[in-house]
Amino acid sequence: MKFRKSLVLGAGLAMLAAAAARPALAGEQKTKPIMGISKSAVADFGGAYGVHKWVESLFYYIMLDNRINYIFKEFGNVDRQIALNTQLEQMVLGGANNYQGASMSAAHADLGITMTQFNAVVEAAYNACERDEIKYYTCNDLIAALAPFTRVIVTK
Amino acid sequence: MKRLHKSGLRTLQCAAILAAGLASGSAWAGIYNDGKVLLTGGVFTVDGAGGGGAVPWATISGYETRDGINGSAGFTYVNLPALQVSFYGVNVGFFDRLELSYVDSRLSLNLPNLQTVALLADTAGLNTGTDSWNSTLGMQTYGAKLRLFGDAVYTSDSWIPQVSLGGLYKDNRNKALIHTLGADKTKDYEIYLAATKVLFPISTLVNVTARYTSANEDGLTGFGYCNDAARNDCHNKRKVRAEVSIAHLVAKNTAIGGEWQQHGDNLDHRSVNIAGLNPTGLLDALQPVLGSVNLGGLPDKLKQRKEGDWYDLFMAYAPNKHISFTVAYLMFGNISVAPDQNGFYFSTHLTF
Repeated sequence: MKFRKSLVLGAGLAMLAAAAARPALAGEQKTKPIMGISKSAVADFGGAYGVHKWVESLFYYIMLDNRINYIFKEFGNVDRQIALNTQLEQMVLGGANNYQGASMSAAHADLGITMTQFNAVVEAAYNACERDEIKYYTCNDLIAALAPFTRVIVTK
Repeated sequence: MKRLHKSGLRTLQCAAILAAGLASGSAWAGIYNDGKVLLTGGVFTVDGAGGGGAVPWATISGYETRDGINGSAGFTYVNLPALQVSFYGVNVGFFDRLELSYVDSRLSLNLPNLQTVALLADTAGLNTGTDSWNSTLGMQTYGAKLRLFGDAVYTSDSWIPQVSLGGLYKDNRNKALIHTLGADKTKDYEIYLAATKVLFPISTLVNVTARYTSANEDGLTGFGYCNDAARNDCHNKRKVRAEVSIAHLVAKNTAIGGEWQQHGDNLDHRSVNIAGLNPTGLLDALQPVLGSVNLGGLPDKLKQRKEGDWYDLFMAYAPNKHISFTVAYLMFGNISVAPDQNGFYFSTHLTF
């Protein structure tokens, strides 16, 4: 009986450990754009703080755009979305992989996102770069790094 | 009469209902789309297809995505030393998959040597298709382009470009002048395969096109060639020619770049044929008019120059999704009997 209990406990612990390790595995991986991403990309964005500020600007423009704002509103907890996006953007720009959210395909599977809506977010991204005085070429590094997610985000 | 009037009214009513439906109906609202990112559909080429100035790209014109339909109209004016060309056209993009286009072009020739001959020929009562003041070559171009595979913009982790197959049918109006210039056909088709890729790290769009054609000056001076003025020995051999277009985006709404379009040599060093006569024959025919004037040097003056490849440097600016402007400097080289035709190009592209 005691043996069985410890077995269950052990299994439970193992599952917990697996769950803790999960974000790195099942979360999201870095994309691999051809010709690479500039090594100074995160620094060009103004470091971790700059990336966070940029994501806030991105959401500012997303919320202004009636083609897409309702999707993000329905999702709820915009602060959490901003935090997760900051982690994602840092990762794809060549920073550490601290992304704690779901994979791009899991997060968008049921949303029925169209190409038009994806492009609207890209437009918001360029507007955010302009608002944050981030150079167009630096902005393209981020678009290149995020573009491969189109395949799993756009499902319609 | 009464019945006719009634049926006419009914037709009008139907048309009005249809128009109202198109303008305000949810069906149209659902299909209309302008979701593409700025400039990613290309601008308006002289062939009507979406692309650069002369080179068609693999991108589908208009701002529609795979979710809908978008259309556009374009106007281009080219001012060269001896000739001016206007292009008016429209194109429609369907679901970022298919593009249909139509362009009407007018090329005005202001060539003193050709006009002099035209004047003389007119006086002698010969039909050359030329006008002693202003000869115009008109051409209509119908085009279709199908995207085969790939996404020029978003597959940034793969070298696979967007590839499209296109076809153009060109029909010249001034058949007499096309024959005067020594071409075989006044209407013909062209087929092209275009590959386009956006390279984000260098913020540059690269396009390579292979065109299967026998066109002289893009078809504006006909297709193929004739070895004799009587047009018994004519040839229309199509070949694959290369075209390259490179556009560097300096901002999301501004592109600068250059193009190269390989041209053929169908009419190189061939004399123009006036009313089925070569210049020597023409001289004989004109003897009654010319009298004792010696125009022995005329055949040389009417020999066409080596057709140059087209090069251009352009800047395209799209302040918004409804309009874009392109200015370019063209280096067309020799066109027919006119040497060194380099000059400016202005184009407007209106997108709905």
